[in-house]
Amino acid sequence: MSAIAIPTIPAGERRPGFARLVQVELRKMVDTRSGFWLPIGVAAITLITVIITSLVHGGHEATLAHVFANSTFPSAFLLPVLGILLVCGEWTQRTTLTTFTLVPDRGRVLAAKVASSVLFSVAAFAFCLACSAVFAELVGNAPGGAGSISLAVLGQGLLFLIGSMLIGVAFGAAILISAPGIVLYLLLPTIWNALTAAIHALATLANWLALDNSFDRLPRGTLSGSEWAHTGTSLALWLALPLAIGWWRFRTRDVN
Amino acid sequence: MIEANSLTKRYGARAAVQDVSFSCAPGTVTGFLGPNGAGKSTTLKMLCGLAHPTSGGSTLLGRPFAEIPNPGRHVGVLIDASAAHGGRRGRETLALSAQLLGVPESRVDEMLDLVGLDKSAARKRVGEYSLGMRQRLGIAHALLGDPELLILDEPANGLDPEGMRWMRGLLRDFASRGGTVLLSSHLLYEVEAIADRLVIIADGRIVAEGTRDELVGKEAMTRVRSADDHALRSALRSFAIDVTTADDGALLAEATAEQVGDVALSAGVALRELGPSRSGGLERLFFDLTQGSGDEVHAPTDPRAALGIADTDTDALQETVR
Repeated sequence: MSAIAIPTIPAGERRPGFARLVQVELRKMVDTRSGFWLPIGVAAITLITVIITSLVHGGHEATLAHVFANSTFPSAFLLPVLGILLVCGEWTQRTTLTTFTLVPDRGRVLAAKVASSVLFSVAAFAFCLACSAVFAELVGNAPGGAGSISLAVLGQGLLFLIGSMLIGVAFGAAILISAPGIVLYLLLPTIWNALTAAIHALATLANWLALDNSFDRLPRGTLSGSEWAHTGTSLALWLALPLAIGWWRFRTRDVN
Repeated sequence: MIEANSLTKRYGARAAVQDVSFSCAPGTVTGFLGPNGAGKSTTLKMLCGLAHPTSGGSTLLGRPFAEIPNPGRHVGVLIDASAAHGGRRGRETLALSAQLLGVPESRVDEMLDLVGLDKSAARKRVGEYSLGMRQRLGIAHALLGDPELLILDEPANGLDPEGMRWMRGLLRDFASRGGTVLLSSHLLYEVEAIADRLVIIADGRIVAEGTRDELVGKEAMTRVRSADDHALRSALRSFAIDVTTADDGALLAEATAEQVGDVALSAGVALRELGPSRSGGLERLFFDLTQGSGDEVHAPTDPRAALGIADTDTDALQETVR
C-alpha cells in the first residue's frame, strides 16, 4: 500500500464559474416534465390573452400599451410558481443531495437561481412584447393605429415580471417545500388584503404594503413618485423579507 | 484520504453522532457498518457538507469538503439513490451534472455504459426507474467526475445478487487503482465481502474499527455438524469451548477445526461437516457491539435475521447473496 501515492487537490483548481451555474439552473428549469410544460403553458395563455385583448374591445382600446399591459399578467401569475419550484423542487425531490455535493457554497447556488430567474423573466418579457406588437398591429384595429409604448412603461413591465418571479424564488427559499410554498404565496397577499380591509388601523398600510395594488399597476402606465414609494415598500415586504429569510435557510439547513 | 475528527451531531439533547473519528486510506475499501438509526447517514452527510456538525470536523484529501473548489472531480457521493428528480430523464440527470463539473458529455455515455443502463433506460424518466436502476444511476453519477474518493450510503440497497457482484467488482477495481472507498451498510454480509476495513457504529459512537482479522482476533470459529449435535455440544462445553447454534441448526464452536475434531473423537460423535466459519466470529462481534442499539421501532424479534445474517459460511454467501 505504500506504493500508492496520496492524492491531493491541485493547487490552482477553480470552482465552476458563476455563468456555468446559471446555465445549469436555466437547464434545470426546463428539463423536467413539469418544467417543460409550465413555460409552454405560460406562453399559450399569454398568446390567448393577447389575441382576446386585441379582438374583444372592438378596436377601441387595443393599443399596444393596453395589449402589452394585459399580456404580462399570465406570466406575473405563473412565473412565481416556476420560481418556487426552482428552489423548492430541489428540496422536495431531494436533488439538494447532489447539487450541494457538487457546489458546496449554497449561496452561489441560490444566487444562480436568482440570476437564471431574472434571465427567464427577461425572455418572458420579450415574448409578451413581441406577441403584443404583432397582434395589436394585425388584429387590434384601434382607430389611431396600435400606437407606441413609452420606455418607462416597458421598463416597469420588465420590473413587474422580474419582481414577480423573484418573489416566487424568495418564497420558495424561505419555505423550501413546494406545495406549502405555492399555497402561502397565493394566500398570504390575500390574507393581508383581508386584514387591512377589516382592521381600520391597518388600512393606511394597505397602500404601502399590499402587493396587488402597488405592483399590478407597474405595466399599466408611468408611476408617480408616491406610487413608486408604495411599490418600493411593497417589494421590500414581499420580496426582500422572504429572500433574506430564504438566504439564511437555504444556506444553513441540513439536507435530509 | 478521508478523515473524521470527533464528529458530533446533536438534535436537542439527543446525540445522533458522538465523537466519531476514523480515517480511510487510499487503495482501501472501508465498510461503515451499523444498525439502522446508528448515525451512519448523518456521519456521511457531515463528511460531505450536507449536515453541519455540532462539533468536530472532517477533511477529504486534506481539506474540509466545502473548501474543495470543484468537489465533484474528487469525491463521488451517493447518499440516497432515490433522491433524484422523477420528472427528469436518466441521461439528462447525468448530463446536467457533467455540465456543472465541466466534464465532456461523452463521459455521461461512458458511465451509463459502465453501470449497465442501456439507451432505452437512459431515455426513461427517473420516476419510472426501479430502486436497482436508481442505484446504478447513482453510482454512475458518483463516478462522473472521475473522483479519487467514493462515499456511498447503502449502495447495495435494491441491487439483486448480480448487481451486488457487479458492484463489488467495481469498487475493488476502483480501490486497486488507488481510490478510497467509504461505504455504509446495515448488513454485515454486504460489507465484509467488499471491505478491507470495518468501522462499526452503534448509537452514534464508533464501537470497533479495524480489519476483519483485527476485529475477531485470532479467535477461531468452527462450524460443525454431527450425528449427535446434543452430545457434541455437551462435550465441547466440557472442554470449556463456547458453542452457539446457527440459524440452520449447525453448531458454531469457538475453537479451531482441529480442536473440535479432537473433542468429537473423544466423545465418540461422528462428524458430518467441519470447517472454519469465516463470518461466525464477526457476526457475533457485530451483534454484541450493536445489541440493544439502533432503531427500536423496528426492533426485530430475531436480531440476527434483521442484521441480514444468514448462518452459512461467507464463501457460500458471497456467491448466493440472498
